[in-house]
Amino acid sequence: MNIKTSYSINQNVDDAVKEISSGLNIISPRAVLYFGSSDFNPDELSGKMQSAFGDSLVFGCTTSGEITSGKMLDNSVVAMGLNSSVVQNIKIEVLENITDNSIAAVEKAFKAFEDHYGIPMQELDPGKYIGLILVDGLSGAEERIMDRIGDLTNITFIGGAAGDNLNFKQTHVFADGKKYSNSALLALIKVGVPFDIIKTQSFKPLDITLTATKVNEARREVIEFNGRPAVQEYASALGIRAEKASDYFMTNPVGLMVGDDLYVRSPQRVEGNSMIFYCNILEGMELTLLQSEDIVKETKKALDEKEKGFGKFAGVINFNCILRTLELKAKQQTDDYGQLFGNVPTAGFSTYGEELVGHINQTATLLVFK
Amino acid sequence: MAGMIKKMLDEIIAKRSKGDVTMMNLTKAKLIFKGLNPDRFTNTSEDDPEMIKKIKAAAQEMGVSI
Repeated sequence: MNIKTSYSINQNVDDAVKEISSGLNIISPRAVLYFGSSDFNPDELSGKMQSAFGDSLVFGCTTSGEITSGKMLDNSVVAMGLNSSVVQNIKIEVLENITDNSIAAVEKAFKAFEDHYGIPMQELDPGKYIGLILVDGLSGAEERIMDRIGDLTNITFIGGAAGDNLNFKQTHVFADGKKYSNSALLALIKVGVPFDIIKTQSFKPLDITLTATKVNEARREVIEFNGRPAVQEYASALGIRAEKASDYFMTNPVGLMVGDDLYVRSPQRVEGNSMIFYCNILEGMELTLLQSEDIVKETKKALDEKEKGFGKFAGVINFNCILRTLELKAKQQTDDYGQLFGNVPTAGFSTYGEELVGHINQTATLLVFK
Repeated sequence: MAGMIKKMLDEIIAKRSKGDVTMMNLTKAKLIFKGLNPDRFTNTSEDDPEMIKKIKAAAQEMGVSI
């Protein structure tokens, strides 16, 4: 066994870490990835997780809910250990002060990756290397970081934005036994087994286009769609009254279409006649109105389709949007969703945004290993 | 004049992907995230100087000379 997961619902950090390490240390992990509730003291959790795994590279972040094999949890710690057959080489870089310094921080991290691997980032083989990104979900810097990463490499960086149990006060990423806020963590891994990614969002596109004709990018605000006040145009497109618009945000977000694929942009709230989103929308972007479908059914379909070509999964890392988790909770489907991963070592968390190509919403981005 | 924008975007995709279809789709997605959708332009699209400026900046950011 190359990949093993463990979890603890114990609220005492010492006991939780002990429980997790006894589950994972049987495979001598080269890397340990963990996701912990923001209710734990972050200094204590990070320090004790690092101490428990000695020479392993130990990293993770805070959450708004955790996922492990067969279960969606709250106020727990979940972890995945990967041995050296899976993680042949790994380099972790922490990007600090990302609200002001995201571009330079990515460039500095990439220089460190190039020094470590001795290969320019543009020349690394995307079939052999994968990047993980964990980023402060309250920083507002996610788009800039993903954009610069995409500029500098063809390697896939997949991940999620750290949460804090919907308090929206402070999130952390963990590395080197320390906690970091206003920061992102990049891990570049040389993988020794086949791997692939899955992106699933459980929406179907409607035949309605909303073009963002006036935006405030920094505020993630769309002021006008199709030359009209954003809320009115969104409501007209759905055939509803403008004052009811926010009732439809969960079921009818918008999508950026890339061929037949879509990248969800979720509205957060109405502000005057504007719509504030959970990710930024650029002026001139053509967006397609979306209609929600069943998360469990669509996720199962995505997993089954991937497994058909890829083979049986040996491990899954699941970055699942908090908005999906809230919908699953509202529909009492969390057990069903957890069971989709019941037979495979899985670690994941409910994110404040998912990272793949860009910063996206209401999506699950998954890294699967064979 | 017309068609310059499509030509420039196609060139960025070709140079970044080096003929790899997966990389072509990935590069196209990255451009769309930058607000530069290659599908919106054809060989007859007007050469909008503002758009050309944006594409040149994107090419530079992506390390592609066009």
